[in-house]
Amino acid sequence: MATKLIEIKGLTKKFGGLVAVNDFSFHVEKGEALGLMGPNGSGKTTVFNLVMGDLKPDSGEIIFEGKDITNYPTYQRVKAGIARTYQVPRPFQELPVIEDIQMSTIPDSIMGSFRGRAMPLEKVAKIGEDVGLKEHLSMYPRELTMGDLRRVELAKALATNPKIVLLDEIFAGLTVAEIGELDTLLQQRRKKGLNFIVVSHDLKALAPLVDRVVVIHFGEFIAEGPFDKIVNDERVKAAYFG
Amino acid sequence: MIRRLRWWLIAIAVMCVLPLFVPLGFPVSVIRLLVMGSYLAIFAMSWDMMSGHTGYISFGHPFLIGLAGYVTAFLSHQEGFQPPHIVLPLAVTLPLGVAAAVGGGMLFFFPSMRVRGPYFALVSLAFMEILHRLIIAVRPEFTGGDRGLPNLPSVVMGAIPNYYLSLGLMFATAIGLWYVSRSNVGNVLKAIRMDEDVVEASGISTYRFKRFAFLLSAVTAGLGGVFYTHYLASINPRRAFSAILLLDIIISAVIGGMGTIVGPMFGGYFLTFILEYLRPYLFGQWRLLAYALVAIFMVIYKPKGFYGIAQDVASWFQTRKRRSAQYGY
Repeated sequence: MATKLIEIKGLTKKFGGLVAVNDFSFHVEKGEALGLMGPNGSGKTTVFNLVMGDLKPDSGEIIFEGKDITNYPTYQRVKAGIARTYQVPRPFQELPVIEDIQMSTIPDSIMGSFRGRAMPLEKVAKIGEDVGLKEHLSMYPRELTMGDLRRVELAKALATNPKIVLLDEIFAGLTVAEIGELDTLLQQRRKKGLNFIVVSHDLKALAPLVDRVVVIHFGEFIAEGPFDKIVNDERVKAAYFG
Repeated sequence: MIRRLRWWLIAIAVMCVLPLFVPLGFPVSVIRLLVMGSYLAIFAMSWDMMSGHTGYISFGHPFLIGLAGYVTAFLSHQEGFQPPHIVLPLAVTLPLGVAAAVGGGMLFFFPSMRVRGPYFALVSLAFMEILHRLIIAVRPEFTGGDRGLPNLPSVVMGAIPNYYLSLGLMFATAIGLWYVSRSNVGNVLKAIRMDEDVVEASGISTYRFKRFAFLLSAVTAGLGGVFYTHYLASINPRRAFSAILLLDIIISAVIGGMGTIVGPMFGGYFLTFILEYLRPYLFGQWRLLAYALVAIFMVIYKPKGFYGIAQDVASWFQTRKRRSAQYGY
């Protein structure tokens, strides 16, 4: 099956007695955008942390482009083509936006870094402009709104030249206008062949963006399918409304 | 380029010609102080490379310095290690001392992969204390035990040659580390201090960059350590592994400006002179109180240290120049 970009098989993660993610499986086809839905505390961010290697799973496998990356450290997964944004933006506080984005392009070698083989600032500025940060490139994170900080997160993820981006609650705390802009931007990127896994509470923003939705509840897989079908699914309604 | 560096060139020139004024009455005691200042500056810059840049605060830097010092002292001291009585020449023992510091630096690196923040600081402090106790307790007939090893050979004799030696070492260290600090490698290290996980999520192996920083720090600490030991011509555990030396190093770096290399270099000289000139006014340990107060003040009001103050002054002048060009006042 060469069409699967990333495949998660039987992922399990326990924190002490709490099973955060239990035997959870899903996959993303090439060219697909997947929504990951679930109520608060259902384990969505834990799944992201497991996929990125920020956490080690107790069992299960993560296959990316046919390669088992379960034991890869985070930076190797990023180099392979997986990037993420954080639910709570984590910019480098002492760097202006443009240098923050540039950090994602510094080569992972001492000699390469000495020779300065990071992406030149003009190209970095282009990435920033693409996500709508043109006026903010020389600003510091403390001067930015939540919406702009999320754009910085996205720009940093895109700057690593990924094949798939994990977007964690990228719409949270944004105004309706900002959500619209970001939605348009992500859809443009999709057309250029970028894959996404999107976690969001904002179902309205999620709907036009994703081809398929996977629902997680108490760390367990409960449903999957197209967005319209999923929101009417009885199990999903039960999970959200009790 | 020349214009930007002119203040540095002037400072270097002044430092180089200073001993020429000794026959005209310039006090040799100041030259000796400058030697001590140079060594403290080297140690502070070395600490800055590891701790100021990556945020892994080392409380055990005297471990690296003392280890290098003890290795060269042990191999070169006049009674030789016994049996048989072998006294190695300095050309052999100095590099071996530095090599020992590099080995020690890698020992620092391992805990840094697992523990961060205050835990790393405590582990590094433990390194220093363990070596301190080991040298006193294990085979004191070799290490000199509590008394240490006296009468070590000198690399060069006299205040002025030692001045040039320490100054050369200091400048070599400063230029090397400054170059690293200004490069992308330095940027990555400073980013590690800000948020290590995010650096990792940028596709950069923080392991690789931290190891490089620790290695550089150990090399410079070792270099400073071996020459400092032979300058003092003796070594003993109480001085080599003292909390005072540790505090001198950290406070030099902090008041100079962490993560800037130039700041800690300046801090090293500043601290040496202020401690010496406070001597007549503040007795014994009270001097320590004075610089602790300076350090606390700096951390609260000027966390970027003297370097930050210098930047503020420079930008104030630039604004004034621009404003006067624009509006004529």
